[in-house]
Amino acid sequence: MTLDLGKPGSTYIIKGMELPQTIEKHLEALGMTYGTKVDVLNNKSKGTLIIKVRGTRFAVGKGISGKIEVSD
Amino acid sequence: MTAVMKQDATIGFVGNPNSGKTTLFNAFSGANLKVANWPGVTVEKVEGMMKFKNQRYKLVDLPGTYSLTSYTMEEQVARNYILSDDVDVIVDVVDASSLERNLYLTLQLLELGKPVVVALNMMDIVEKRGLEIDMHRLPEMLGVPVIPVSARKRKGLSVLMHAVHHHINAKHPDKLIHGHDFTSARESKHAHEHHRDYTMVYSDEIEDKIDLIIDELRSRYPEIRNYRWHALKLLERDQEITEKYPLDMPDVIDRSYESDIINEKYDFISEIMNEVIMNRAEREASTDKVDAVLTNKYWSIPIFLGIIGVVFFLTFFVGDFFKGYFEIAINWLGQAAASGLTSAGASPGLISLVSDGIIAGVGSILTFLPNIFMLFLALAFLEDSGYMSRVAYVMDGIMGHLGLSGRAFIPLILGFGCTVPAIMASRALETKKDRFRVMLITPFMSCSARLTVYILFSEMFFPKHAMLAAYSLYVIGFVTAMLVALIIHLFDKTETDHQLLIELPEYKAPSARTVLIYVGEKVKDYLSKAGTIIFIASIVMWFIMNFGIHGYTSDVSMSIGANIGKAIVPFFRPLGLGYWQLALALIAGISAKEVVVSSTAVLYGVSNINAAAGMSTLAGLLGASGFTALNAYCLMIFCLLYVPCAATLAVIKRESESWKWTGFVALFQISVAWVITFAVYHIGTLLI
Repeated sequence: MTLDLGKPGSTYIIKGMELPQTIEKHLEALGMTYGTKVDVLNNKSKGTLIIKVRGTRFAVGKGISGKIEVSD
Repeated sequence: MTAVMKQDATIGFVGNPNSGKTTLFNAFSGANLKVANWPGVTVEKVEGMMKFKNQRYKLVDLPGTYSLTSYTMEEQVARNYILSDDVDVIVDVVDASSLERNLYLTLQLLELGKPVVVALNMMDIVEKRGLEIDMHRLPEMLGVPVIPVSARKRKGLSVLMHAVHHHINAKHPDKLIHGHDFTSARESKHAHEHHRDYTMVYSDEIEDKIDLIIDELRSRYPEIRNYRWHALKLLERDQEITEKYPLDMPDVIDRSYESDIINEKYDFISEIMNEVIMNRAEREASTDKVDAVLTNKYWSIPIFLGIIGVVFFLTFFVGDFFKGYFEIAINWLGQAAASGLTSAGASPGLISLVSDGIIAGVGSILTFLPNIFMLFLALAFLEDSGYMSRVAYVMDGIMGHLGLSGRAFIPLILGFGCTVPAIMASRALETKKDRFRVMLITPFMSCSARLTVYILFSEMFFPKHAMLAAYSLYVIGFVTAMLVALIIHLFDKTETDHQLLIELPEYKAPSARTVLIYVGEKVKDYLSKAGTIIFIASIVMWFIMNFGIHGYTSDVSMSIGANIGKAIVPFFRPLGLGYWQLALALIAGISAKEVVVSSTAVLYGVSNINAAAGMSTLAGLLGASGFTALNAYCLMIFCLLYVPCAATLAVIKRESESWKWTGFVALFQISVAWVITFAVYHIGTLLI
């Protein structure tokens, strides 16, 4: 599944992403690499999420969350 | 170890965004900051000075960044500066409450080979969560001093400076005790030499490659000082370094090892986390509880509107309360100056210049200081508490319908304060398209300079509903900005992906010092504007009103100003603004919007324009020439929407790097202002 479908309170593991290079590099620098755990804290039902990665909270839009492949 | 005996040692402050880096920097340097841009780029450079143990230190606040790649301007600026000879020691500000992510930058800084001292900030949040950080083990694993500080409470500052003082010559980490489990997966033939010398040791595959590249670099580029870092960058296929030091080693650098290097760094960070974090019982952070309310699906937008309401309440009601005292003081000053000059035997021309020109013009602006102060105080509070970045999340859905990321809302809110920093804040936006759109719509957000116009004219012509009239202009400005964004979005055929990505820091009580420095800067800006642009505009206005082509004249209608005003008045007549004095004031207002008020004061010769007596004089003068409440409202709408000020145009030029775009924005705003004011005037005339 993709991250935008994540439920608040659940934890997922990043399996891959398909985003423009600069955004992918930025996410990697923030520690969102293959195999990283992502906690979904909030989901506004349209794919705009609040997530927690390596101890930091981020708000991500559907343009990004919809292109990150995750597993439970 | 002895400290360097250089004249000024330079300390570079580096850290993630939201790590408290700027708060710590301010704690050291005080308010005596020098703000400029880094050469050639639009990234802000802030410098300060301090003294410690008879050594003078130059402090440089580097841009907040998560990594030191060359993908963004900020990161390039930071890393090139650290690599240069200009910096002697680095203070790496680490947010202890998100240690894992912050250490990633630390590991990269250590690889640059300059002396590093880690300032571990926000320990109070860590303690509140019931966690403990092993302050013995952490520096042991990093090989550099780690000093716990509280930037907000100004604690640990002298210990930090002491460490800086002692480690300024420490080019290598001294004592590294990693304690990797050498018998298992991390067994390495590099263990012996490398684990003693370097904090971050990679897998054998990468370490072998590093060794080969270093040998090649040594023979081809002997001038390089830090071979290991350059080798790593070549393995990452870093654009800047690959172009600067090309190597022909296709077997070794067979692909980009960037992801491998990132992953191995994070693996090592996990190792550090396991060793240094004690009591790892996950407690629900208080931020999560606050966020459960503030970013709630149903409540987030009403709460946001409520907060904005409070900001306006503070600006208008509380600000106005203090404004009354300022008026009394300015009024007294005007009279004192006039009587002082008269008794000193000054000529009537000079008395008129001082009291009708300078004090009327500049004084009319100074009285608004309390309103401006309250507004910026509220904005500083929102930013420093961590709420501002939540606005991006809360507004993302709505902004998505307008083709913008939720992050675009932050410059729009800042626009209530001043358009210039708001446009600078558009830099943080994800795409260039978003940036240009935000530059186009942000000037419609009513800034504090325009407030001066509303307060004057709504108090004169809508005495019972002054607040309502002023509020309505804020709404019109906001709606115009949104409609313009919507129309552009509807006509734009290219697909928009809103790629919102913003860090949400922990909520914290704002630091009084940070807030005061921020507000102090704005007040200083405002006062210096009153002292320069408005001062000059008031004098120029007085001259063109009192001089005609034949010299000094007491007949205003013969003056140069009257002739200019009369020449441009046809443009304003269809808007209900067919008064040459006002036309002239509006043109002068392009220098700064407050000039509309100060010029009106000078043009109508009212020296105490904001006091009740002055207002009734001006209202009487205007009313006698058929100027009604509708005309006043049209004037306010035109002021709201036309080109904000010369400084805004300058900043749009700087940010867009395009004269064409800047010219378009200016023309667009004048056209929008004209069309909307025209519509309001004619619909209003029909209704009344």
